[in-house]
Amino acid sequence: MTLIMVVDDDQDLAEMLGIVLTGSGYEVDLVSSGDQVMTLFDNHQPDLILLDVMLPGMDGVEVCKAVRAKSMVPIVMLTAKGDTQDVVLGLEAGADDYMVKPFNPNELIARLKVRLRRTGLNTGATQLNIGDVVIDQVAHTIIKNSKTIPLTRLEFDLLLALAREPGRVFTREALLDEVWGYQNATDTRLVNVHVQRLRAKIEADVNNPLIIQTVRGVGYKAGA
Amino acid sequence: MRFLGNRWRSSLLFRVISTTFILSILLIGVTGSALYFQIDNGIYKEKTNGSVVEAQSLIQFSQEQLYSTEYIAKIKVKDVIANIVRSTDQTLTSSPRDVVLVGTPIKNMKNDLYNSSSGGIPVNGIPTSLRKQVRHSKNIEWARDFIRFSDGNKSDAIIVGGLIDIPNQPSYELYYIFLLTEQETILSLVLSLFWFTGVFLILLIGLLSWYVVRQTVNPVRAAAQIAEMLTAGDLDRRMTVHGKDEMARLAISFNEMAVSMQQQISRLENLSRLQQRFVSDVSHELRTPLTTIRMASQVIFDEKEKLDASAARSAELLMSQIARFELLLTDLLEVSRFDASASILEGSPVDIKALVSRTIDQLQPEDVNQVKSDFPSNDVVAEVDPRRIERIMRNLIANAIDHSRDKPIVITIKDSQNEVAIGVRDFGIGFNESEAKRLFDRFWRADPSRSRIRGGTGLGLSISLDDAKLHQGTLLAWGSPNNGAHFVLTVPKFPGIPIQSDLIPADPNLAASTSFLNFNEDDI
Repeated sequence: MTLIMVVDDDQDLAEMLGIVLTGSGYEVDLVSSGDQVMTLFDNHQPDLILLDVMLPGMDGVEVCKAVRAKSMVPIVMLTAKGDTQDVVLGLEAGADDYMVKPFNPNELIARLKVRLRRTGLNTGATQLNIGDVVIDQVAHTIIKNSKTIPLTRLEFDLLLALAREPGRVFTREALLDEVWGYQNATDTRLVNVHVQRLRAKIEADVNNPLIIQTVRGVGYKAGA
Repeated sequence: MRFLGNRWRSSLLFRVISTTFILSILLIGVTGSALYFQIDNGIYKEKTNGSVVEAQSLIQFSQEQLYSTEYIAKIKVKDVIANIVRSTDQTLTSSPRDVVLVGTPIKNMKNDLYNSSSGGIPVNGIPTSLRKQVRHSKNIEWARDFIRFSDGNKSDAIIVGGLIDIPNQPSYELYYIFLLTEQETILSLVLSLFWFTGVFLILLIGLLSWYVVRQTVNPVRAAAQIAEMLTAGDLDRRMTVHGKDEMARLAISFNEMAVSMQQQISRLENLSRLQQRFVSDVSHELRTPLTTIRMASQVIFDEKEKLDASAARSAELLMSQIARFELLLTDLLEVSRFDASASILEGSPVDIKALVSRTIDQLQPEDVNQVKSDFPSNDVVAEVDPRRIERIMRNLIANAIDHSRDKPIVITIKDSQNEVAIGVRDFGIGFNESEAKRLFDRFWRADPSRSRIRGGTGLGLSISLDDAKLHQGTLLAWGSPNNGAHFVLTVPKFPGIPIQSDLIPADPNLAASTSFLNFNEDDI
């Protein structure tokens, strides 16, 4: 069964999230403070973390960083503020997606499903190349200079989407649709921050990216 | 010249000093010249009087000497004349002088036997006008004129002359020439003294006025400089206070003003910060329970088949009202963020045509084709905040659909090098002039009976206007009852460039030739 760790200091919201998630067939682990996350994380090994940004003690952004330091587990942030500052900080700390309160529970479930699914689209080939990076679709790993680079599932999906159609220019909206499963979304920050994060891991020079190139005014494409 | 003009306008010090200079030059010049002429006149008058008297007695004496040759045989005319025509240096009784003896010209006769002169003055060196005067007068005549020496030099002199008889000879003229060298020396000394004193005085006055004006201007300059720094945002700047005079009082009151201004500003800043904090807190505090309520109502709503009719209807109402509350909360927070100037523009290059098309698709059911688009064929990319532009478009298009009476809606996009304009035109109920004035007011609704069809919050246009302003763009509205309305959003393609042109005029009558009006005639 899929285990989702819900980190929220608001007992009622946490309980409600528990009801909704359990109703959708997930196992739920309720955590009420950021400090407890790391200990429980090692014991329970959740498949996804649903993390409130505003937490007493260690806040959501710090928890996010701490988790990322040891795991690539999908993290979805819950924020009361749609302000950039909060969202971008969370995304930069390693969150894959965020939900602004108050959210539609059905939408939450839909997002979690996208984050939990294994990329199933197989093009037949087991290996893809993008620049000097080798993507192993079976092992779900990225190899550069014969070293494995740890990527979150979302970062992997993003790179794979670009690598599958080399030369095609993806608009940010198209990427939101393909990678995040959003339709008609305009929140391009999500794409921008993840591209930055991905570049930081695979590009030799972040200021002069060769693998994921920016097409000004349009979007991104995979480099040769 | 232009530099001086600028200095004149911009520097009080320069103006005062140059005025003082000019005035003192004038004053000293006028008094100096008046004094000089007085002295000049006095000196010459005295010299003239003395010279005339002296010459008169000399001429008389010479005449007597010449007469005496007639009865004293041993005195020769030649010797007497030689004695008469002799330069004299100043002695106790006489001044330095030169003498010219010249025969009066007579027709057809030579009369120059005894022509002679002293001191290097040629015999014909006497001015003609004086000679004429002497010839026609029986008295002594005089003139002040320049005398020309044989070597070409000239000298100012008083010339006194009279007729003289030489025995057995035609008429002769005797001239005494008193050179004014001494007087000129005195006068040039006086003149140079005057110049020296004048220049010295002018410089002194200039220096004094510079010093005095600087004493007053410097604090004013310092005040101006510090005021500029304050304006530039350096609120900690203060003037230094010296002594207890008026300038010190200026500095003290200036500083007090700066302190009170700084307090006001920091108070306002605090208020603004508090407001932002409040907004942020309200946001968090309200949103968390609202999330719980929303999820709870969704759970109840999903189970409504199991409930009885009234409970099921209540679940529906709960759901729709929570949605409305949520919209209202979002809009209210947005408005207070604008009021606290806490809104930040997140610009990125955006494909405007795609954004507008997407918004239309979201608002218009798939099988309906009410909204027509009139887009340019070229790509329209602008560096804008996509969230805000989409919000504006959603507001405008939703409003247009609500007020369209199911008539077509036309969305026009036009762009220039630096700007992009989007027009939303409907042909529905429109609005009149008094309504137009309140259009962008918060919570104002055009027609109370028709309100809330879409559950709008009444804040949409107000927020749209703020969003447009945040982009340094404009949002203009035109409306006419039963002829529909036209809203035009114009934003710069690159941040910071103010809107200059009118790509789409808000009044559709001004754009009679544009495609959508033709379009409207065909379609309605």
